[in-house]
Amino acid sequence: MAEAVLMPKSGISVESCIIGAWKKNVGDAVAVGDVLFDYETDKAAFECESTADGVILDIFYHDGDEVEVLRPVCAIGASGEDVSAIRAESGAGAAPTAQTDQTVQAPAADAPASGERPEAIATAAAPTQASQQAQTAQTAETGSDKASPRARNMAERLGLSTGDASPSGPGGRVIERDVIALAAAAPGGPAIETREARGGEPALTEQASGNAGPYADKKLTKIRSLIASSMQASLQNTAQLTHHHSFDATEVRAVRKAFKENDNPAIAGVSIGDMILFAVARTLVEFPDMNAHLVDGNTVRGFEQVNLGVAVDTPRGLMVPTVFGADKKSLIEISVEVKQLAAAARIGNIAPDLLHGGTFTVSNLGPTGVEMFTPILNPPQVGIFGVCGVTTKVKQTESGVSSYQSIGMSLTYDHRAVDGAPASRFAQAVCDKLAQFSLLLDI
Amino acid sequence: MPDTLLIDPNELKQPGSITFESIPVNQYCGSVQSERPVLGDEPLTRIYRDMTVLREFESMLNLIKTQGVYHGVEITYPGPAHLSLGQEAAAVGQAYLLDTDDIIFGSHRSHSEILAKSLSAIDKLPENELMKIMANFQEGRILSAIEKLFSPKDVNDLAIHFVLYGTLAEIFARRAGFHMGMGGSMHAFFLPFGVYPNNAIVGGSGTIATGAALYKKCNDKDGIVICNIGDGSLGCGPVWEALNFSAMEQYDTLWEEGRKGGLPIVFNIFNNGYGMGGQTRGETMAYDFVARVGAGVSPSEMHSERVWGHDPLALIDAYRRKKALIDEGKGPIFLDVLTYRLSGHSTSDQNAYRSKEEMEAWAAVDPITVFRANLVDAGVASDGFFDDMWAETKERMTKICGWAADEGISPYADFSADPAIIERTMFSNLSVPSFGDGQPKVLGPKEENSRVKQIAGKNRFAFDENGKAVSKMRVYNIRDAIFEPLFDKFYEDSSLITYGEDVRDWGGAFAVYRGLKEALPHSRLFNSPISEAAIVGTGVGYGLSGGRVVIELMYCDFIGRAGDEVLNQLSKWQAMSAGILKMPVVLRVSVGAKYGAQHSQDWTAICAHIPGLKVCFPATPWEAKGLMTTALNGSDPVVFFESQRIYDMGEMFHEGGVPEGPYEIGLGAVNRVRTGSDVTILTIGATLYKAIEAADILEEKYGMGAEVINLHSLVPLDYTDIIASVKKTGRVLLASDACARGSYINDVAESITELAFDYLDAPPVVVGAQNWITPPFEFDAEFFPQAGWILDAINEKLVPLPGHADTVNNFIDVEQIRRSKQGV
Repeated sequence: MAEAVLMPKSGISVESCIIGAWKKNVGDAVAVGDVLFDYETDKAAFECESTADGVILDIFYHDGDEVEVLRPVCAIGASGEDVSAIRAESGAGAAPTAQTDQTVQAPAADAPASGERPEAIATAAAPTQASQQAQTAQTAETGSDKASPRARNMAERLGLSTGDASPSGPGGRVIERDVIALAAAAPGGPAIETREARGGEPALTEQASGNAGPYADKKLTKIRSLIASSMQASLQNTAQLTHHHSFDATEVRAVRKAFKENDNPAIAGVSIGDMILFAVARTLVEFPDMNAHLVDGNTVRGFEQVNLGVAVDTPRGLMVPTVFGADKKSLIEISVEVKQLAAAARIGNIAPDLLHGGTFTVSNLGPTGVEMFTPILNPPQVGIFGVCGVTTKVKQTESGVSSYQSIGMSLTYDHRAVDGAPASRFAQAVCDKLAQFSLLLDI
Repeated sequence: MPDTLLIDPNELKQPGSITFESIPVNQYCGSVQSERPVLGDEPLTRIYRDMTVLREFESMLNLIKTQGVYHGVEITYPGPAHLSLGQEAAAVGQAYLLDTDDIIFGSHRSHSEILAKSLSAIDKLPENELMKIMANFQEGRILSAIEKLFSPKDVNDLAIHFVLYGTLAEIFARRAGFHMGMGGSMHAFFLPFGVYPNNAIVGGSGTIATGAALYKKCNDKDGIVICNIGDGSLGCGPVWEALNFSAMEQYDTLWEEGRKGGLPIVFNIFNNGYGMGGQTRGETMAYDFVARVGAGVSPSEMHSERVWGHDPLALIDAYRRKKALIDEGKGPIFLDVLTYRLSGHSTSDQNAYRSKEEMEAWAAVDPITVFRANLVDAGVASDGFFDDMWAETKERMTKICGWAADEGISPYADFSADPAIIERTMFSNLSVPSFGDGQPKVLGPKEENSRVKQIAGKNRFAFDENGKAVSKMRVYNIRDAIFEPLFDKFYEDSSLITYGEDVRDWGGAFAVYRGLKEALPHSRLFNSPISEAAIVGTGVGYGLSGGRVVIELMYCDFIGRAGDEVLNQLSKWQAMSAGILKMPVVLRVSVGAKYGAQHSQDWTAICAHIPGLKVCFPATPWEAKGLMTTALNGSDPVVFFESQRIYDMGEMFHEGGVPEGPYEIGLGAVNRVRTGSDVTILTIGATLYKAIEAADILEEKYGMGAEVINLHSLVPLDYTDIIASVKKTGRVLLASDACARGSYINDVAESITELAFDYLDAPPVVVGAQNWITPPFEFDAEFFPQAGWILDAINEKLVPLPGHADTVNNFIDVEQIRRSKQGV
């Protein structure tokens, strides 16, 4: 393999030398001891002798260049041997083709004298045009699809390509900070898991916030961080989409009204939300593919029992306690249990076991007046219903156009596990049951 | 160098000569007739019976190895069979007078000794004792395996079957073997009958048996130790070291009353004329007579003599006399027991090195034939009686061979059902405050010790309340941290002794033991000769006999002098005994500085490579005290590395300094001395302080936070905290003063790559010393990792440091390749 000739270290304190004049050219045959070029330190001038026999395959630094000591200055070997590894070590950057030589001055990114080192680039608000060019050139010349596993993983999480990052690692490798810089440079770039988030020191705050004026930083709470990562993971790792359905709420409203007047507080407390949970649980048993988990991306695990996750808004953030065996429970049982779970979640003393094990989830934003939304799946569950607010709609009947109260139902499902038509059939079945809720109670 | 022994030039310069007593050669002139009144007829016939058992056992193995069948029992046995056919009289004669408290160590050729000693013990032990031994051994597994297979005549008969079966099953690598088949032919033993480990390394038992004798002496245990080794082993240095160690003059001149006198040991050289194929007399050795060796060792000439080993009565006579000498405190003894092996070195031996004529001549004096003829001639019993005895032996052996060969009766260890069979026995992992059973012998109360008083006045943290460094003289340092737990243990464990070169009056070459002399009598703290093999080998023998010992090699480099003892003996016996033996031995080794190529090497990698050793290397006083406390409470061999570079260091990291009371640091833990999020630096040994220097520069000059973690424990090693740190920082550098090639940190780097690959922002980079000789101290910075090298490595391999100019080119890929190509 080709051998490198290093810039000699001509004294304990010498860190770099300036090449005077080359005595040999690329293609010349040389032997050990032949003078290759002369060079000078701040104190004296020397000649550099070849440390290898062979042909000069490549010269990385030229007359007048300042070179760090112990860096490869040229490569010597047999014709045709690959010198890219030595060139990478030299830190000299691009092979001196006419174009790049003109446009990219002795690679600013790596020449110590320039002071424009990668660290500086990464922490600057945005890479300058010049340094980006330099980086791009280096990427091209080192064929830099090289990226550290850590950088690759971060890029994948952020939906970026390491190929787009400016490499600042050793030998032109894209490392984590390059992906961070890439993400920060992108307009509206995604939130980044920084070293800080993992317990390290601030890395990105300045770049991300730019000159937005005074601000206050609030660390994410533990639960907020968990929600953040699970929400992001859900969106990144599934093929979810949402269908918006609705049902005529006339009947559930009437039932609700009747219940409310009951002396039994358990019955009086049954809400429309409870009825929806009841209907969803009763319908899911007929659609095992919806009452399911998608495991390892290749297995749909249909459950016999319906464990209904119920999204609850708590002072510490979203929590989803589970009503186990909801398909076997009566409307009143569900109603009572959901109230207990929600209270425990809000107080914060809910048993951790009750926060797992759901087979399907219902998120109710109805009271907030939302008209439709796209609830985010709670993987590996394949479906989640979002319950929307009450709106007034009109319909054509035999007696003409009439208005009625409607409730929107937004079904998000994982298209990897379920196709659109069966998902719609499920949503429709739920809506049908709710529209004729009395029938359900008779079952 | 005790000042009580004057070296007087006026005495030494006087002319004179050294005189030697003549060494007896085959002087025994008794006979069956003359011994009959002494021994009795029944014991005489038993001697014959025992010889037939030994002969048949070895003949059986010979047939199995050469033909795969013995009396119709077919079995393939691929392992070794170093047979002692022809040496039966020597083994039986030796064992005849020995009690169970008398213990034997042996060699690769020791089947006969195991059986002879066991048969002797069976004959001497009362029936209830025998039953207890068999029922308790390995939870009665061997006994229950054979009990149901036959109806023994009596307990004695049952015990003979037991010992033959246990030995053979061990040879055949079966679970019913004495050590679950994990020792095998060359390592079989059975402690309850006084049969201690046999050793596959020629001469390996020399130092170990000496250590066992030291244990008996220092713990007032009954019995003597027999070291059975061959004439070939007299070419081995460690055997000579053992001879001298056993006969050191200090036992008489310096040791306290009650512990005076040489070690209670007989070096029994089974002199069969060959070391494998090399003829010892006349070819490979210089002694002419083996017995001459004893004469050079000590003024007593080790009471050396040659005994004709074909006559069991000559051995009985010799042992009767030698035991009496040892009882008078006149050990050690050297015996040249002349024998001849009728078969080859092993069954693959073609006997190319000896003539047919020679073999026939020895066959003609076959000890069994000759002794039987003598018995018949003397009228002890008839030929027919002995024929029946032979027949019974053969019948019994056939039966036992059938049992041992049968996989149903004698299954192999089932690794698929229990993959941890060996894993469980690699370490005993016990916490035993004391292995002793008496009051520790000390010379004064703890608190009056000058060193204890001195330490009491020291600052246990490196900085005072104002953050100012405490002066070297006033700071509690690593020396103190090693001394403190050791000193305490001497007052707790009566079995604990310590020795090594210059440990007593000098206080250890690096003053770790200063003050210890005031507290301990010679028998607990003594200077060893400059015999590294004997230091470690006797430590092994002391430990496996049941005592706790701390031994010291002054420089790590001297491990080379104790290679077998550290790498093959200290490390192996717990697992080779299937967990029966414990090895509470702490081996202190000091990594040098300033003394060049043969005194400055860090050989942690060599020790860590060897299964069965625990290895630690504290670099701060807090680590040193905690680890020494743990090592001293344990039951496993710990190689305890220290660095001469940092003996003076105070505790700079642990909050509150080094606690005054005892505390343990679990082996396996790591010590995070600084937190950071940009790069993890893992260190072993004194390099910790270079890493701290580098971390400071990283912080000040580059704004990077380095997390510095010291790996004070190499084996075992828990990766949990290491991986957590690497996941945080994504970058890891490992540094150690060991030469980079093959250094243990390469192993750690590789594991990190496997365990945290997806979190790495760059490959782990290893910073070790140059792969050169260690140059003189003046060139330390050229050879050992410096803070600058750590920055170089980070710059080249992990993340470029703006404006950093490399100080060395070790971390440039092309240079790495070139150096590797050159082997440097």
